[in-house]
Amino acid sequence: MTISTLRRRTSSAALRHALLGSAMGLAVIAAAPAISAQEISVWSGYPELAPFYEHVAEGMKADYPDLSVKVEAIALREHEKRIALGLTSGEAAEVIELGTSTATRYLENELFNAAPEAVAAFVQDPANFNDFFRDSASYGGTVYGVPLFRGQSALYYNTEMFEAAGLTEPPATMADYTKYAEALTQRDANGNPSVSGWSLRLSGGGQGIAEKFWINMFQYGESLVEQTADGKWKADFANAEGRAALKQYLENVHTLKTVTVEMPADAEAFEREQTAMFIRESWVIGDIASKAPDLPYATATLPRGSIVAPVSLWISGEGAEAEAAWAFAEAANSPENLLWLLDNVGWLPNRSGLDYSAILQAKPALAAFVEYPDTYEFFSLPNIGPVEEILTRTAARLTDAFANASLAADDAAIDGVLMAMQDEINALLQREGLLAQ
Amino acid sequence: MLRRKRWLFAMLAILPTLAIFAWVRMYPIAETLRLSLHKWDILSKNKPFIGLGNFQELMGDRLFHEALLNTTIIAFGVLIITIPTAMILAAMIHYRTRSRASGFYETAIFLPHVVSLVPAAMAWKWIFDARLGPLNAFLGMFGIEPQAWLFDPTLSVISVIVLCSWQALGYAVLIYLVGFKSLPVSLYEAAKLDGASGPQSFWFLSIPMLKPITLYVSVVTLVSGFNVYAQAFVLASDAQGAPGRQVRVLVLDMLENSFRNYRVGYAASEAVVLLVIVLVLTLIQFSLLRERGRS
Repeated sequence: MTISTLRRRTSSAALRHALLGSAMGLAVIAAAPAISAQEISVWSGYPELAPFYEHVAEGMKADYPDLSVKVEAIALREHEKRIALGLTSGEAAEVIELGTSTATRYLENELFNAAPEAVAAFVQDPANFNDFFRDSASYGGTVYGVPLFRGQSALYYNTEMFEAAGLTEPPATMADYTKYAEALTQRDANGNPSVSGWSLRLSGGGQGIAEKFWINMFQYGESLVEQTADGKWKADFANAEGRAALKQYLENVHTLKTVTVEMPADAEAFEREQTAMFIRESWVIGDIASKAPDLPYATATLPRGSIVAPVSLWISGEGAEAEAAWAFAEAANSPENLLWLLDNVGWLPNRSGLDYSAILQAKPALAAFVEYPDTYEFFSLPNIGPVEEILTRTAARLTDAFANASLAADDAAIDGVLMAMQDEINALLQREGLLAQ
Repeated sequence: MLRRKRWLFAMLAILPTLAIFAWVRMYPIAETLRLSLHKWDILSKNKPFIGLGNFQELMGDRLFHEALLNTTIIAFGVLIITIPTAMILAAMIHYRTRSRASGFYETAIFLPHVVSLVPAAMAWKWIFDARLGPLNAFLGMFGIEPQAWLFDPTLSVISVIVLCSWQALGYAVLIYLVGFKSLPVSLYEAAKLDGASGPQSFWFLSIPMLKPITLYVSVVTLVSGFNVYAQAFVLASDAQGAPGRQVRVLVLDMLENSFRNYRVGYAASEAVVLLVIVLVLTLIQFSLLRERGRS
């Protein structure tokens, strides 16, 4: 054997060993996650909730050291689209956060898992959830989700602006809202509003415009869609109450000009002191705390009542991932995590028996959401298939109406708009076999 | 025998491409056509056949009519702005700039075409802003009142047209430049000897000779104009509050029907209508420009 042959043999053996070693190394790396770690994904439609879910995951480390939780929180409308595509293609996250009104479609098609016995017992325990929230996570009497939080509205108002306008109390009636808006509007030298008295949702896409209109119309005693005794639904708001609600928008925009469609609006405008008051859910408190901590503001209940939009956690998938997902949903509902949610994000937990006193003391603005009069009423979006289409189509009609100055002083024309909206909703209900006689 | 072998080889060579084309192009179109005749909510396993029911409903759907009208206005608006502007800009770059700066002009004009759409639309959203936007500030210098570009029903459509034209222009100019470079110089020299001015050469020589280019650019511009979506979506969207007026366009309406209203069959019937419109318009363009080309 020559030296050169030996070298060749040695180098080829070394190469074989190196290749074998690399292959084994790669195999170990590839197998490692499967052996040591388990990953579940959480899909949320509220970006501000990402820290909450991460907090929940962090708290699970002691019991689930190998569990890795991937939180993907995006804008609600995009979230709804990915759920539609993800669940039908089997590529959805294990934990999905979704409002009941939208989740109903998925429940009808058995796209969410039924809750295991222990979770079902937890949800059905009256000490944990009242009937409304239990039902919001159930379908046909079976529990499918774990109720988490709810959207509920209240009035936010800038206390300094109120003081400057000589207003000492929040508005108590809808007529007050217009009066206050007039007093609170700040104008430039030409008389154009520079700070809106009352920020209204007047533009944009999607159903938000219709939802906000529904909240205002509810204060007048009317709803966009109502359930009848036979369990079906109808729209019946083309009346004095409906007219009062739409006319209030039109008066504020076109007659009194307390707000214009192009003015900055909503929480962002409130935080920048570009509007004096507006109606929104409790998450704004958390948003103000992080973006405008020095903002002088308070909250108040609405004249008649509020929307309640319950959101639950639903589980898809199977096996160990599904088990871990249920554990995550339960962990999210621990009192410690729910109080963290309220304190740090601002969304209202659905669970009963939580002690909010410490948080209320630090954040008195939350009181309008949890301490309301006994007569305070609530409504929620109907759990029916065409609810999104009803809201989207109504929103399109409302946008056109808000832009039409000629309607403001013409009651008959307002009635015409309401009648067209009502007919369209009833036609949609009829198409789906849901219209009450 | 040899011919048959050659034919077989050619078929085998082209087969993978045909297969890919069939899978990614023809199958989705066929599936859309099939879905348009069914009622399907994307979640259910059942897809009942309803014949032309979706198309019948489309006829009475005011949102579809609005979307169709807006989309048509936007597509033709972009076409009317883009074609002559692109031709003039390309001519100026080709004939007027003999310097090295021509490369810079080409890049500057082409840039909007390659810039990511969302940040570009966000920039335009700021430009159109009623209160802080530079456009209103500029118009104010001439005593023009500030306009609510993104909120007024008419101005919001114009805003989408401007944004789409700005984006389409770069590509059109580039294609026209290629066209200008391929035109025979001898013809222009002959025209010059005959006393033709620059604008006359452009009008009587360049425009007729560029008809194939104009055909291509106009088809591409019109088709992409009918597919407008992201521009309208971004100009009207905001995290909260006061976004712009939602200019309803066909693709947006389809997406809304598919994923918000869970009516995939209905959205498919809208897609079929869009397909038919684009096909008919393309055929008309082809026949018009080819006819004139021959004459």
